[in-house]
Amino acid sequence: MELRRASSTTFDGLPVHGGTEVVPLLRAGLLRTDTLVDIRGVVPRDIAPGRIGAGATLAQLECDPGIPEVLREACRLAASPQLRNMGSLAGNLLQSTRCWYWRLGWPCRLHRVANGYGDECFARDGEHREHAIFANDYCASAHPSDVAAALLALDARLRTTARELPVAELYRLPTEADRRTTTLEPGEVILEVTFDECDQSVYLKAMERKRWAFPLVGVAAARRGAKTRVALAGVAPVPWLLSGELDSATPLPRNAYKVDVARALVKRARATIGA
Amino acid sequence: MQLTVNGHQYEVHGEVGTTLAEALREELSLTGTKIACGEGHCGACTVLVDDEPVLSCITLVHAVDGARVTTIEGLRDHPMIDAFVRSDALQCGFCTPGQIVSAVALVESEPAPTTEQIRHAMAGNLCRCGAYPKIEEAIRTWQG
Amino acid sequence: MARLIRTEKEVEGRYEEVWLVVEEDSLDQWPAGPREIVGRDAVRVDGRERATGQAVYTADLAKPGMLHTAVLRSPHPRARVARIDLAPALAMPGVHAAIGPGDIEQLTSDCSFQGEAIAAVCADSLAHARTALRAIVCEFEVLEPLLDPDEAVRQGSLLGEARERSRGDYERGLAEADVVVEAEFRTQVVLHNSMETHQAVVEWMADGVEVHISTQYIWGIRDAVAQGLALPPDKVRIVCHYMGGGFGSKNSPDDYTFIAAELAKRTNRPVKCALTRREENTAAGNRNATIQRLTVGARSDGTLTALGGEFVNAVGWDGWSSGTEGPMQMLYACPNVKTTTYGAKLNLPPMKAFRAPGFVEGTFGLEALLDELATKLDLDPLELRRRNHTEATPEGNEYSGKNLLECYRRAEPHWERRHEVRARSTETVKRGVGMASQIWYGGGGPPSYAWIRVGSDGRATVVTAMQDSGTGTKTAMAQIAAEELGIPLEHVTVTLGDSDRGPYAAISAGSSTTPSMGPAVRAAAADARGQIEDIAEQRGLKGAPVHEVVDVLEDSQILGKGARGPNPTGMQVLTFGVQVAEVAVDIETGEVWVERIAAVHDVGRVINPLGASSQIEGGIIQGIGHTLSEERLHDPATGRLLTTTLDAYKLPTIADVPEIVSELIDEPDTHLTNLGSKGLGEPPIIPTAAAIANAIRDATGADVRRLPISREEMLRALREAETRQKEKVGAPAGV
Repeated sequence: MELRRASSTTFDGLPVHGGTEVVPLLRAGLLRTDTLVDIRGVVPRDIAPGRIGAGATLAQLECDPGIPEVLREACRLAASPQLRNMGSLAGNLLQSTRCWYWRLGWPCRLHRVANGYGDECFARDGEHREHAIFANDYCASAHPSDVAAALLALDARLRTTARELPVAELYRLPTEADRRTTTLEPGEVILEVTFDECDQSVYLKAMERKRWAFPLVGVAAARRGAKTRVALAGVAPVPWLLSGELDSATPLPRNAYKVDVARALVKRARATIGA
Repeated sequence: MQLTVNGHQYEVHGEVGTTLAEALREELSLTGTKIACGEGHCGACTVLVDDEPVLSCITLVHAVDGARVTTIEGLRDHPMIDAFVRSDALQCGFCTPGQIVSAVALVESEPAPTTEQIRHAMAGNLCRCGAYPKIEEAIRTWQG
Repeated sequence: MARLIRTEKEVEGRYEEVWLVVEEDSLDQWPAGPREIVGRDAVRVDGRERATGQAVYTADLAKPGMLHTAVLRSPHPRARVARIDLAPALAMPGVHAAIGPGDIEQLTSDCSFQGEAIAAVCADSLAHARTALRAIVCEFEVLEPLLDPDEAVRQGSLLGEARERSRGDYERGLAEADVVVEAEFRTQVVLHNSMETHQAVVEWMADGVEVHISTQYIWGIRDAVAQGLALPPDKVRIVCHYMGGGFGSKNSPDDYTFIAAELAKRTNRPVKCALTRREENTAAGNRNATIQRLTVGARSDGTLTALGGEFVNAVGWDGWSSGTEGPMQMLYACPNVKTTTYGAKLNLPPMKAFRAPGFVEGTFGLEALLDELATKLDLDPLELRRRNHTEATPEGNEYSGKNLLECYRRAEPHWERRHEVRARSTETVKRGVGMASQIWYGGGGPPSYAWIRVGSDGRATVVTAMQDSGTGTKTAMAQIAAEELGIPLEHVTVTLGDSDRGPYAAISAGSSTTPSMGPAVRAAAADARGQIEDIAEQRGLKGAPVHEVVDVLEDSQILGKGARGPNPTGMQVLTFGVQVAEVAVDIETGEVWVERIAAVHDVGRVINPLGASSQIEGGIIQGIGHTLSEERLHDPATGRLLTTTLDAYKLPTIADVPEIVSELIDEPDTHLTNLGSKGLGEPPIIPTAAAIANAIRDATGADVRRLPISREEMLRALREAETRQKEKVGAPAGV
């Protein structure tokens, strides 16, 4: 393996920024590459009102008073202090989904096997107490990005080396035909995140310990005038924009409790921001 | 490649993929930095890179070329060491160097942290012996 | 005079008959209360080495030419290795040797649990060893595992016989009861997660073998290694100066030591074999899961008439069926008790001792059951416990010392806070207070020895081949020696951690280090002090400070030796305590957080109050993890483990710690040794889960029955309580 420093946003190889996800996955054998490209030098990291360089670390964002509350709190409650120092905003959006079967390399639908991909979701019939309660039919993993939920609630947009898109369009549910969970093309790099000001916003996170845990349920809510957007982390294979109520959830036998938790937190989030 | 650790320059020869923790411990014999999980989950390997606490067990050594690395060996004279000893803020001691590195970074930016600030800044350093109450006390009273 | 006796030796609640040479312990105990040094706060004598990173743990040891090992472990709970080929691994860069099934007893092709060792490779770097390991060709025939403990009991897949213990007439006791409460409790598998994983460095010397190992029991390792390698024990040197936590899991040499020994022999190099975190959480032991089906009967005044239980320890493939029934048998004066304990043999990784094995789990069941009884009887839970207090053991023996009533008395102010705590409840956050009692062993025992030397500078060195697993025993031993010699603490050095450099010392398990080693160190210091007094008399310096008495000795040294005396005969030596927990429960989200825990424990004389408070805090914090967030999960179909990494297995962080108030009775046990001290390593973790569960009941009326009390379990219990409440309200009058 070799490590190159990117001198422009056009390069060949696997991009790495903070490395908090890429390095452990490489070492666990879940990611492979011959060429790692350190993109820290070419991704902006400056913070301006409504505009954040994709390379800004979570630690920078959590203490910046200019950042909307929902995003600041999502950063503050994400991961551990060291990981927040290392990890970038875009890296957080692009972290892999959470599923212990996937992380342990079980040949599930999201993993390549000898000829193609696996054809089973082990969590559905197995241990899934931390797993998805929405869109969990094909893959029951739970996307843990607190930050993504916050940006979904803010209706943020991303600028990449190839295009501009709403953050919602960064993600896709895996299907039989296409197992990817993001729409990012090889070589495409997220450069910047933009969003409009909001009147009030909040992030509430249920986890199994007070700090340094992925969300069982994370609820992000942002209000602009009479319009409120609510997005959830940890409830679906991708960050989940809540449309309608939680009654449409399809929990598995051992994670129905997440629906109760989400319902309570959504109610509180709405109340907090006067929705 | 060149590595700057505790103000000294070292030549490091590890292959790409070698972590900073491995390079410190194996090549430079700086074994104060511990590896307890090796995958970025426990904080025992915490070192400062350009004054910020990071996890050296998931930091590629080739990615810190040109940065300043500070390990527990570089903090031997810091009053935080005495504060930890005085407060009995360690038991088996295996997580302690990492705890102290995180604590030093905290008090360098916030000399009199509140309990809430301590708990927020130290939550990534796991201690299985449960020395946490005394760690909190050590950081509260580090200035003596 | 040395005396040969046949006696019962207790470790972790397990007894065995042994022959012992014991030396009489002729020293009187010091009067109760703080002395000059003993009984006063002392900072760790090795604190600075550990804090600065200068302390060399086994993990830090790098011998010249040392090779590193990677171990191939079964990924399946039950499988047969159909084909294995080590040759590709041997051809990889840096590889020096590879061993497989049959090469040593610890490597097998017949795997009965995930993590069982199959093969190993050693190379010039760990990275090379790991890469080479992946080159081994290994094909498995996967077999159906046995995973369900109840099913194992039905099939008779047991480790040892089912243990039946009874006294009185259980059926009659139930018939005499005004109220009977039955409940089933379940506890989870918990992982030790010592920060330093299990590891050893083995080197064959010209004459014997040298083993550096992260261990709690230098002498036990020496015996096991000697036996395993067919060497005389004195040709085996065991070294452990610093170790990064054990909590009961590091009492034996295990596969990694023998793998390193074999590879070291084959390569004629020192070889390190260190478990990765994932291996640690698979193959290095665990606190096994339990199922407890419990019954209590009582008169309306709270007097217990019957206690009964069926306990299933889900032991795993190996280990032992720990005393989960112990608290039910021992804690209260109930005349009629009947318990049956099964040790289910399963295709799951073997359990190991984990801080008060069995009693942590059994206390959760028993003490939660008692609070359900208290609720039914409308009795104050503390009062219920007082009414069933016993001054003699249920078998009619004496306790060497018991101050449980005093613990209850001192817990009262904490217990009284419950009205104020409950009053701070809101619509969605309910607060409450719960308590639980603690009973456990912790008396230690012989043999254990210490030597001491005093130089002409008046400084002393204590020499004993014990280990300090992080509990601070090195400091406690220095305090005892300094106190007895009448010299400053800074003038005492303790050297330990090397079987070639000191006499036999006890295991650091079963809360036994201080009560086993402390009296030996004091006896050695007293021996030296006696000689110094003789010299003082000859120099006309009677009563002068030690350094003045010995200052003319030049290179002469005063040598003292001491041994641990016997435990009192016909008495049970136990520790007691009580904890009071304050919790808050968010009844909408199921979140539980602990706000305060007050702990009052009776462990005899306290040597170092500062270190003791750290032990209590550490035990409680591990207890909180056990109660709220920690659980090793396995896939229900295949039995393969899912939570072996520290992002998935959730240890408490600093942010999860409540206010902890600790108090020790600090009354010497007048029947126990020249110190009257018992151990404190385990007692504090025992009542925590039950106290928290009972506080949750106090706050919400919900009966939690399963650890950990996850949001799922909390919300289930709340719903059940709500249904019960509705039924009660809806029921016709008089029912």
